[in-house]
Amino acid sequence: MNRDEAQARMSEIQRIMERATLWTLLPGTAAVLGGLLVLVGCGVSYSMFRSLDFAAMLNMPVNKQVTFCLMWFLIGVAGVVLEAVFTSRAAKRQGISPTARSARVAAFSITPSVVVAMVLTVKFLMHTYPKPEEIRYIVPVWMMLYGTGVYTAGLFSIRPPRVLGIVFIAMGIVALIAFENYGLVSAALSFGMLHIIFGLYILRKQRQDRAP
Amino acid sequence: MSKRVKPDDIDSVIHERVRLAIVSALAVAPELSFNELKETLSLTDGNLSAHSRTLDKAGYIVIEKTFQGRRPFTTMRLSPKGRKAFERYVQTLRKIINEGDKTVEDSS
Repeated sequence: MNRDEAQARMSEIQRIMERATLWTLLPGTAAVLGGLLVLVGCGVSYSMFRSLDFAAMLNMPVNKQVTFCLMWFLIGVAGVVLEAVFTSRAAKRQGISPTARSARVAAFSITPSVVVAMVLTVKFLMHTYPKPEEIRYIVPVWMMLYGTGVYTAGLFSIRPPRVLGIVFIAMGIVALIAFENYGLVSAALSFGMLHIIFGLYILRKQRQDRAP
Repeated sequence: MSKRVKPDDIDSVIHERVRLAIVSALAVAPELSFNELKETLSLTDGNLSAHSRTLDKAGYIVIEKTFQGRRPFTTMRLSPKGRKAFERYVQTLRKIINEGDKTVEDSS
């Protein structure tokens, strides 16, 4: 064995260790709780403007619009916090550092697309007179970009996150093309229901695979 | 002064690619089920069974077979002997990397 082969072996060992680590760190509970939060957010949004169309927020007074945006911002922050807390707890249980390279790689993979989604959202909202057609893009844009991020993070992990990412992208495309007037339904089905289904699948699989 | 790496220093049980992958995965997770390992390493059932048996025979991993309802359920974990062998193997790789040139013939 020469130096190059030894180096290749070391890289392979590192890659496998990262994949094995990520498997045990997938936060199923955080996905379920995050999904539930989104469903609550969709319910509150509907009660605020009595429409399934996100652009209906423009019919509300400015203070209500601010409350609406703040609520979704807080739901997003809560999702990130939940994921961080549950991943750290899982890491602690497994005796792994929560800032292990694998966790950092996953976080860094998803960050660029989330930042792009945030920038586009701000751009859509920041007009003096926001345009309904642009407001309607917000949910599909978030679905597609979040899906891209999750898919990319999944490239360093196992199959389920990649599948989740692809489903998000596909749903985002459908929402953009065919259901742009039903933003609340799209958000509830993707960020709500899909996260809950994914979380339950991960929890069930981890339980099945852990216990006799 | 460190000794040069000899062919015998390379553990042929771990040196095989799939077995190295199994041991590497088990080195970071306290225990993994058959399905978790299969998915993590993208292996077939037959491949994982054959190589895990070899590792089990060498005493490097512990295989536990139970039942979940009617379904057989298999978990694997690294034995202390396996962990030592893995650490030794990684040390050997480091030595080869540090020594630079071709130091040892492939023992596989």
